[in-house]
Amino acid sequence: MSRQPMSKHSRPMRKPVSRTPAWVPPVAVVAAIALVVAGFLLVRWYTTPQAAPPLTPNAAQLVVNSLAGLPAAELDSIGQGSASNLIKPVSGTPLTGPSGKPLVFYFGAEYCPYCGAERWPIIVALSRFGTFSGLATTSSSSTDIYPNTPTFTFHGSTFTSQYIDFQAVETTDRNQNLLETPTAAQQALVNQYDTSGSIPFVDLGNRFAFAGAMYLPDVLAGMSWEAVAGSLSQPDTTQAKAVIGSANLITAAVCRMTSDQPSSVCTSASIQAIEKKLG
Amino acid sequence: MRLQLVALLAAVAGVGVSIYLTAVHIAGIPPACPANAAINCEQVLSSAYGVVAGSAVPTSAAGILWFAVSAVLAAIVRLGHSAPVWSRLQLAWSAIGLVTVLFLVYLEIVRLGVVCVWCSVAHALVLLIFLIALPRQLEGRVDA
Repeated sequence: MSRQPMSKHSRPMRKPVSRTPAWVPPVAVVAAIALVVAGFLLVRWYTTPQAAPPLTPNAAQLVVNSLAGLPAAELDSIGQGSASNLIKPVSGTPLTGPSGKPLVFYFGAEYCPYCGAERWPIIVALSRFGTFSGLATTSSSSTDIYPNTPTFTFHGSTFTSQYIDFQAVETTDRNQNLLETPTAAQQALVNQYDTSGSIPFVDLGNRFAFAGAMYLPDVLAGMSWEAVAGSLSQPDTTQAKAVIGSANLITAAVCRMTSDQPSSVCTSASIQAIEKKLG
Repeated sequence: MRLQLVALLAAVAGVGVSIYLTAVHIAGIPPACPANAAINCEQVLSSAYGVVAGSAVPTSAAGILWFAVSAVLAAIVRLGHSAPVWSRLQLAWSAIGLVTVLFLVYLEIVRLGVVCVWCSVAHALVLLIFLIALPRQLEGRVDA
């Protein structure tokens, strides 16, 4: 590029310059970040699973039957799976139900995603000791974390067993409207053993108790009830490892309550191995 | 230079927030934080993203390191080290922090669906430090 010769006394000629105002870069950065965050929110909104309409009673019963009919060999092969062992031994007067059998007491709420996750293994586990009827499908809250987790509600259900009693309190529905109120005795159990105030809370005959879910509800995100049930019949799925692993932990604790009855359930190698871990 | 003092104070505050988050993580106690549909610090901190991938090191511990280095850089520039290398280093370091923050915000919003208030305070401090570092690089830049 050739240069123009300059005379001795003339000043170099410069093209007029324009300085970027100081406020522009920070404002541009903040605006760009706001756009990115808005994009994240949009992605979250699009990927949040919608609540499926509840199944009809007959369709729900088919899913429950599927859970109750999982092969013992598959349950044994999974063992603890990917479940976190939240079960802690507690000491107290042995808890019995109205019929005098050891009592499993559940305390939760329909809106709660952790309760939604934990009901699946509770149903799988207790179905090995008795029979549920009247279980209806529902989803956790659409505005809480892990929204619309597919699950069942214990509200309005019954459980019959020759080994144990089962009582459940669902305090609110999925929109947090009042549903059930615990009795004074049930509230006393919650106060005594659920010191963190977390739900779900499960007392296993005052021999063991746990609060919270043994796996994260996002394992079930976006799935239908039938799809969850279907995945549980395949031992290699994430759902099977989480739900059946949790169910085996609960089963082992119940076996300790029933003095290992029925033996067809409690004497399996995996349940015996888990029982030894329970303390 | 006054802005560098603000950056220094922001970095010190960031170290404080990060130490608090690391302490509650190690102690296994929930941080002082409201919990609702959108905000849940415990949920975020106890998630798989609460630790540096493949380790047991809390993510907030990396925050301590980042803010400490930011404080040193702000102090150097504040003390009059006008060599452009320090300003550029400050901008590069804060840009790394900002990109990391955007990734963490992505994890909170998209993957977890909840936000940690304490983390957000730290993220805001990172953004502030970046914004302070930014104009120094643009001083004197003119259109040709």
